[in-house]
Amino acid sequence: MTLRHHLSGPHGRPFAVLLACTILLAVVDGGQGRFLSAATAYSSLQTFATISLVTLGLGLTMMIREFDLSVVGMYGMAGCIAVLTGTQHPWFGLWLALGIGAAAGVIQGIIILRLHLSSVGVTLGGLLIFVGIAFVLTESRALPYDNLSVALALNERIAGVFSIRSIVALVFFVGAAAIFAWTRLGSEIIAIGGDRRAAITAGVKVDPLVIGIFAFSGLCAALSGVLLSYSLASASPAGLSDVIAPAAAGAILGGVSLGGGSGRPLGIAAGALTLAVLRSGLNAVGAPPFVNDITMATVLLTVAVLDGPYLARRLILVRQRFHAATNA
Amino acid sequence: MTERSSGGQNYAVAVAADVLRARSHRSRLLSWAQAIGVVALLAVTLGTPGFLAGPSVLSLLTTVSFIGCVAIGMTLITISGNIMSFALGATVGVTAMVFILACNWLGFGPGLLVGLLFGSLITGLQGLLIGWVRANPIIVSIAALALIYGVTQAFAEKGTVYAEPGIVPAMVKGKVATVPIEFIVFLLSTLIAQFILSATRFGRNLFMVGSSFRAAEAVGVSTWRTVTGAYVWAGGFTALAGIMLAIRYDSANMDYGVAYDYDAIAAVLVGGTAIGGGEGSALRTFAGAMVIAAVQVMLLLNGLRQEWQYLAAGLIVLAVIMLQTRGSGR
Repeated sequence: MTLRHHLSGPHGRPFAVLLACTILLAVVDGGQGRFLSAATAYSSLQTFATISLVTLGLGLTMMIREFDLSVVGMYGMAGCIAVLTGTQHPWFGLWLALGIGAAAGVIQGIIILRLHLSSVGVTLGGLLIFVGIAFVLTESRALPYDNLSVALALNERIAGVFSIRSIVALVFFVGAAAIFAWTRLGSEIIAIGGDRRAAITAGVKVDPLVIGIFAFSGLCAALSGVLLSYSLASASPAGLSDVIAPAAAGAILGGVSLGGGSGRPLGIAAGALTLAVLRSGLNAVGAPPFVNDITMATVLLTVAVLDGPYLARRLILVRQRFHAATNA
Repeated sequence: MTERSSGGQNYAVAVAADVLRARSHRSRLLSWAQAIGVVALLAVTLGTPGFLAGPSVLSLLTTVSFIGCVAIGMTLITISGNIMSFALGATVGVTAMVFILACNWLGFGPGLLVGLLFGSLITGLQGLLIGWVRANPIIVSIAALALIYGVTQAFAEKGTVYAEPGIVPAMVKGKVATVPIEFIVFLLSTLIAQFILSATRFGRNLFMVGSSFRAAEAVGVSTWRTVTGAYVWAGGFTALAGIMLAIRYDSANMDYGVAYDYDAIAAVLVGGTAIGGGEGSALRTFAGAMVIAAVQVMLLLNGLRQEWQYLAAGLIVLAVIMLQTRGSGR
């Protein structure tokens, strides 16, 4: 297959969009070197590190036709837990937060499966509880993280454009992509999202997989929360709620359909990277910050409408009415 | 159904009956749990020293009213089968700003109208997308949230807008017979929404669309009009919250209404409106909002820090959701 075929196929779309956005920003920059620079690449990857793991977790739950709202709360709570417990021993804070993230995912998954409940409802309860715990733990204050050497180490540039944070995120995506490529897990996850009953009939162990995905989603949210809080050298219970919009947008841009049953980890990486490049690129070429919000919203709205199951039917109706009106 | 043999049909009927029985059993369980919860809450609340003393109850009535109006709007969205909107909190903020600007420009009365229409319009447009092409309601509301913040930032660089002195009549800031005017508005909103839900054809259609979109379509309900209508009303009730906040503080910014979406859906669910749609009422949401507020005041009076309120609300919501019955699919 040619490159063109690859880019226009369903799995190529995220990469095509990423390429288009990059080219567009380079053209807007007009060769002034503000966009195509190591600094912008570094800041893009930093943004990528902040949003991409949450996007991966949420995207995987969307692939199996669920929706893990609680990632927003877990993101904030994990950061607070790590900062509170990890001043002396950063690894202890990290592992504690990761353990809590995974355990919370398992509990939510079990509740959803055993009680046959909607995942939006259950994870909404989880979200509110995690936010509550974060407020209780921090007494509603922003906590400083006094271990500055950790903060510096996390943000230190490696090879000009990377940092430990972005490398961790990239490693997670490579690992997930490898699992999808070389084990049955990937196709089983897609099968659960496409038709859960058929997946059960085909012998897929649905329940452990669903619980595992919610655990993974909690773990991812916790990990990115911890890394962000460590690198900012502070954690706060409020103000982290603006992660849901980029996470959902990244997953959708990455080819995860709203109806479940489609998507690839590398696609999600491309989706998250597109948002990161847009944010850093627009910033680099001097666009005001609201342009980023509006761009993201436009992308989300467009995809939501194009994925709307009634779109074709409505368009046919409109065309018929238009013809009737012109003939009469 | 695609079963061809009568055996298959019988089986389907038996399964449906089983599901219904389980559902009614669970809903009975739910009502019992709710009744016991409310009685226990009342007992503890009234037993808390200082609860019946004036100030705490009155401050409770004011704060619950802002979130309450949003929750009434959210109720209509939830009943319509579209779960929740993440954009109502942002709508509160932006409506408050539009209201202040319109007041400064046109005066109080027209400002009120502009504010209400604006809230209904921006929320109604989301409803149109959701109803007409059946776009995913969660994604549309997340997009609307980002769009509202982006556009507001583009227009209002300073962030906060202030009302010109004397433009808001002192009358609307007062109390009617010691009851804060905000609470009266909340109460009236509840009654209006309840009237819409239980006494109009639109309300009947809304329940039908929420419980089964296909069935509603099959009996000839205009589903997109119904869904859009639900969002238009939701926007109107949400706008009321924004306007009341703007009147209270003579100013407005996007910090008004932050996290109201979550507080509102908590009130809706605690009241017992089903998250799957097709069931619920505005009166239940009113009760839900009051229960959460009472718990919060009680925690405060018992010496627990304010942060515990958030945790308590979360635990109550999860408990109520776990008792809920309808939950196929998402």
